[in-house]
Amino acid sequence: MSARDAIEIDPPYDFPGYKSTALRAPKQPLIRVAPHPLEIAGPAFSRSFAKESEADLTTWGKSAPLGEKMILVGRVLDEDGKPVRNSLLELWQCNASGRYAHPVDQHNAPLDPNFLGQGKVLTGDNGEYRFVTIKPGAYPWRNHPWAWRPAHIHLSLFGNAYAQRIITQMFFPADPLLPIDPIFNSVPDPEARQRMVCKLDLEQGIEEEALGYRFDIVLRGAKSTPTGV
Amino acid sequence: MGNRTPSQTIGPFFHVGLKWEDGEKVQFAGTGERVVLTGCVYDGGGTAIADALVETWQADPSGKVPGAGAAVRAYGYSRAMTGSDGRYTIETLMPGACTGAGGEKYAPQINVTIFARGLLKAVRTRVFLAAADATRDDPLARAAGARAGTLIASQDAKDRSVWRWDVRLQGKDETAFIDF
Ligand SMILES: [Fe+2]
Repeated sequence: MSARDAIEIDPPYDFPGYKSTALRAPKQPLIRVAPHPLEIAGPAFSRSFAKESEADLTTWGKSAPLGEKMILVGRVLDEDGKPVRNSLLELWQCNASGRYAHPVDQHNAPLDPNFLGQGKVLTGDNGEYRFVTIKPGAYPWRNHPWAWRPAHIHLSLFGNAYAQRIITQMFFPADPLLPIDPIFNSVPDPEARQRMVCKLDLEQGIEEEALGYRFDIVLRGAKSTPTGV
Repeated sequence: MGNRTPSQTIGPFFHVGLKWEDGEKVQFAGTGERVVLTGCVYDGGGTAIADALVETWQADPSGKVPGAGAAVRAYGYSRAMTGSDGRYTIETLMPGACTGAGGEKYAPQINVTIFARGLLKAVRTRVFLAAADATRDDPLARAAGARAGTLIASQDAKDRSVWRWDVRLQGKDETAFIDF
């Protein structure tokens, strides 16, 4: 368990249900150290690093991508509830058929010429963000027989300090694949797992056009390092 | 406290979504000694990891935290993706030594975060761009003890601007990873 949490929140490195951890999980204990001055500071991205067009994944192609259009809104907060402002949030996902626009993805599902699946924003003054996209499909993987990943969106966050840097995945409510997904279930605490599931929020959608979902993200807070920095 | 969003793996399909133009070239407001940090990332079976994302963050040549500036991308930060041979390469400036709030003396180093398929959460550490005897008083070198050697980059004998540092996620000579 990491020193800063009363209960373990992140998954362990070694999780036999997810086969790729077998040779990649470090076996030696992590060395606990006070944060370096750089680790309590963070890189400063200019607002222009994320183009406005990168918040709308449905306008990348010549016409609209296939799939269920959705608006994803949320706030990035720290553990003390403070908004994480002006912070880089990147997102990537497969298309509505469950195929990534990525050379390594060999899933026999169609690519969508109008969907790349890449987005970027900087959070606003209240830590808020908004993306327009389509709901990604489920896709098979070779981890075990009949393995399918539940629909998910990959999210990468910088926070305001290097110590807050995290990559996670967002899932959808009531997905029947969630109970059998080793990656989702690698998070030991069932309540923490639910914090990776977005909520339907119809009014954030667009009437007769797009469904709305809300997903708030909580990063490490100011009091969360062993030395309280 | 305790309500954080958990970490999940980056998976194998991040290369398009997380691509930064010239991500492996670190930008700074000023100039300094140009250096290259390069090496390979290996798994516990000694196989090169072709789908790791290596990010670095470092002090500027004077030892200060790089602040906001005119650059579109953040100063002092890089993002590199390993190739089929597991190799990453970062072009940067030599970080200055710096002093912590409690007077700790930090040797010239680069803070490193690595994400990969099979890593449900990032591994983090710091690599020293200094000879071993120049790291002796560094807080991490002390804490790592016998494992500190896994964090010292080696300066190329011919091209002194090149520093080599391999990462072993597991097994013999496993890199010392940190929690801070
Ligand atoms: Fe995925």
